[in-house]
Amino acid sequence: MNKLQAKLTELKTNNKKALVAYLVAGDPDLDSTLELMHLFVKSGVDIIEIGVPFTDPIAEGPIIQKAHDRALKLNISLDLIIDMVVEFRKTDSETPIVLMGYLNTFISYSKLLNSSDELGVDAILVVDIPGELKLTNYGITNSNIDTISLISPTTSNERIQQITQNSSGFIYYVNLRGVTGSSNLDVNEIEKNINKIRQYTDIPTLAGFGIKSPEDAKILAKSADGVIVGSSIVEMIDSAKTTKDFSEIENYLKDLHKAIN
Amino acid sequence: MSNKDNYPDINGFFGEYGGKFVPETLMYALDELETTYQQLKDNPEFLKEFYKDLSHFVGRPSPLYFAKRLTEHYGSANIWLKREDLNHTGAHKINNTVGQILLAKHMGKKRIIAETGAGQHGVATATVAARLGLECHIYMGSEDVRRQSLNVYRIKLLGAHVHPVDSGSATLKDALNEALRDWVTNVDDTYYIIGSVTGPHPYPMIVRDFNAVVGQEIIKQSQELFQQLPDAVVACVGGGSNAMGAFYPFINEKDVRLIGVEAGGKGVETGEHAAPLNDGTPGVLHGARSYLMQDEAGQVKDTKSVSAGLDYPGVGPEHSWLKDTNRAEYVAVSDDEALEAFHQLTEFEGIMPALETAHAFAYLPKLLSELDNKSNIVVNVSGRGDKDINTVAEIDGIEF
Repeated sequence: MNKLQAKLTELKTNNKKALVAYLVAGDPDLDSTLELMHLFVKSGVDIIEIGVPFTDPIAEGPIIQKAHDRALKLNISLDLIIDMVVEFRKTDSETPIVLMGYLNTFISYSKLLNSSDELGVDAILVVDIPGELKLTNYGITNSNIDTISLISPTTSNERIQQITQNSSGFIYYVNLRGVTGSSNLDVNEIEKNINKIRQYTDIPTLAGFGIKSPEDAKILAKSADGVIVGSSIVEMIDSAKTTKDFSEIENYLKDLHKAIN
Repeated sequence: MSNKDNYPDINGFFGEYGGKFVPETLMYALDELETTYQQLKDNPEFLKEFYKDLSHFVGRPSPLYFAKRLTEHYGSANIWLKREDLNHTGAHKINNTVGQILLAKHMGKKRIIAETGAGQHGVATATVAARLGLECHIYMGSEDVRRQSLNVYRIKLLGAHVHPVDSGSATLKDALNEALRDWVTNVDDTYYIIGSVTGPHPYPMIVRDFNAVVGQEIIKQSQELFQQLPDAVVACVGGGSNAMGAFYPFINEKDVRLIGVEAGGKGVETGEHAAPLNDGTPGVLHGARSYLMQDEAGQVKDTKSVSAGLDYPGVGPEHSWLKDTNRAEYVAVSDDEALEAFHQLTEFEGIMPALETAHAFAYLPKLLSELDNKSNIVVNVSGRGDKDINTVAEIDGIEF
C-alpha cells in the first residue's frame, strides 16, 4: 500500500473526507510551489495535486491555462518538478502527491518516471487518456505509481465498469460538463453518479471541477469521499505572486477542511 | 484485405497513429458520432443526399484542367490541375462540411462549432450551418483573425459568431484547444465539425471519407482525359485533409506516387516551420498520436508559415502512417518558394491559388526534374487565393 492508499484508508477509517488541493508547478516559481506545498499540509490538505504545465491544456479553464503559461515561461518541465518533489520529501514523507497533466509530457519523461521507486510521486492523473487504456501501454510502468482515472457525467455504465477495473488510488469524478473553474454544479446529478460509481468499485471517489466555496465543498463531501479544489487556489496564488503573502490561501484551505468534516 | 480497407482499426489507429486521447467527458460524444457514421456511411439514402449536395450546392465534379503554359514552361510531365478552388466557398473544405452537417442533422444537434486557420473551414462551416438555420460558433486564433480578415467578415455575414483566441501562439492549434473546451462544456447539444483529418477517432476517418470524392474524380477524369492513372498526385499538407482526399482512392495503386508538401516556413533547417512529417517526432496532441513538432520536454513548439492554413504543429494520423509505411512521400518548401509559386500560377494560368495550395506548386521544379514528357501529374488546387491578397500585398510592400 503506497502513501496515497494509506492516507485514503486512514481517512475512511476515521470517517473523514479528503481535501485535495491543486497548484501548477512553477507558478509563480518552483521555490514558491515548494513553500505552498508545505503550507497546504499545515492548513489541513490531505493530498497535493501538482499540475504539470503543458502548452495545450484542453481541459483547463482560463485561470489554470494562464498558470500553465506562466510556468512554461520559466521552462518548468517534469524533471524539474520531480526534483522539487524529492526536495519536498526531505521534510514530508507522509503527504501523498499526485501529478496531473497531459499524456505528451508524461510520455516524454517515461524513462525518468520508471527509473526509481524513490521519486516521491504516488500517482499520476492523465487528463487526455481514456480511462480504459493503461499507462503501461505508453511506457509508464512504475508499479509504485497509481493511475487515477476520470469519470464524468457523460460516462456510460459500461465504461464506468472498465475504468474502475483499471484504476488505483482514487476515482476522480468530474462534477460537470466543462473545463476546470466552471460554475455549473448540479448537486443531484453528482450525488446520483457517485453512488452509481460505488456500485462498481470500493476505491474512494473524489469530486473535482467547479468547487469554489466551502459551502460547495460541504455539500459534495456528503456524497464523495473527498473534494478537489484547483482554480480558486491558483487564482489566489496569482494574486499573491509579488507579495508572496499566501495567508489568504491558508485561511481558505482551513475553511474548506472544516467545511467537509 | 487491403490496407485501404483495414484502417483505421476498431480503436481508431492507423498503425501506431491516431486513437482517442481526449478528456473523459468527450468519449461518449465520439462513440455517438462513430455509431451514427457507421450506420449512415453505406446507407443509400444518406449517400444520395450527400452526393446531391455535392453536385447542386458545391458544384461537383470539379474539373481536371490541363495547365498548358505551365507544362510548356517546365518541358517535362503534363501538369493537370484538380480544381477544388472552383467549389462553392472556394476550397475543398466544403466537401467535408456538407457531409458532417448531414451527420449533425441526423443526430439532432442544434449548435455547430468549428475551428479555423485560414478561415476556409470557418466559411465552409458557417455556410452549411446557415443553410440549415443552425447556431454556429467559429474559433480562430487572433493572429489568423488579423491575417485572414476577409474570411472573418465572410463568416460573420453568414450569421456565425467568430471567437478570436488569444492563448498560446494565437493560431490554429489554439483555436482547436478552444473549440475542444467549448465541446466539453456543451457536449449534449453541440456538434463539432473538425476541419481536417486530425483530432480523435472517428474524425480522421470521417473527414477523409467525405474528401475522398476528390481522388475518386481524379481517377475517372484521368482515364477520360489521358487514358491512364497519373504518375503522381501532389497536394499541400497542413492537417492534411485535401491531400488525404486526393490520395486515399490511390492507396492501392502502388504505381502512383503520392506527394505531400508541408510548410517549410523560413526553411526546415532553421526550425521555424510547420513541417512535422519532415522534422517532427511522434507525440499526442488534440486527441491523436501523430508526428508532432515538440521539444524534449514534450511541449508543443510554435510554428511558422506564411500560410495560416498550414500553420499547425501536428498532422493527420493517417499521413504519419503513410509516411512510415513509405506509401506517400512528404517534402517541404519554404515561404519564399510558395510565394514565388503563387505568382507563377497566377501569371501562367490565370489561376490564383491559396497560399496553402501554392506550396504544392512550389515543389514542381524538383518533381518535374525527375519525370519526362510522357508522364502526367495531378496537382490538387485545394483553394483559391482571394483570401490571401492582403497578405501577399503586405509582403510585396503594397498598401491599399
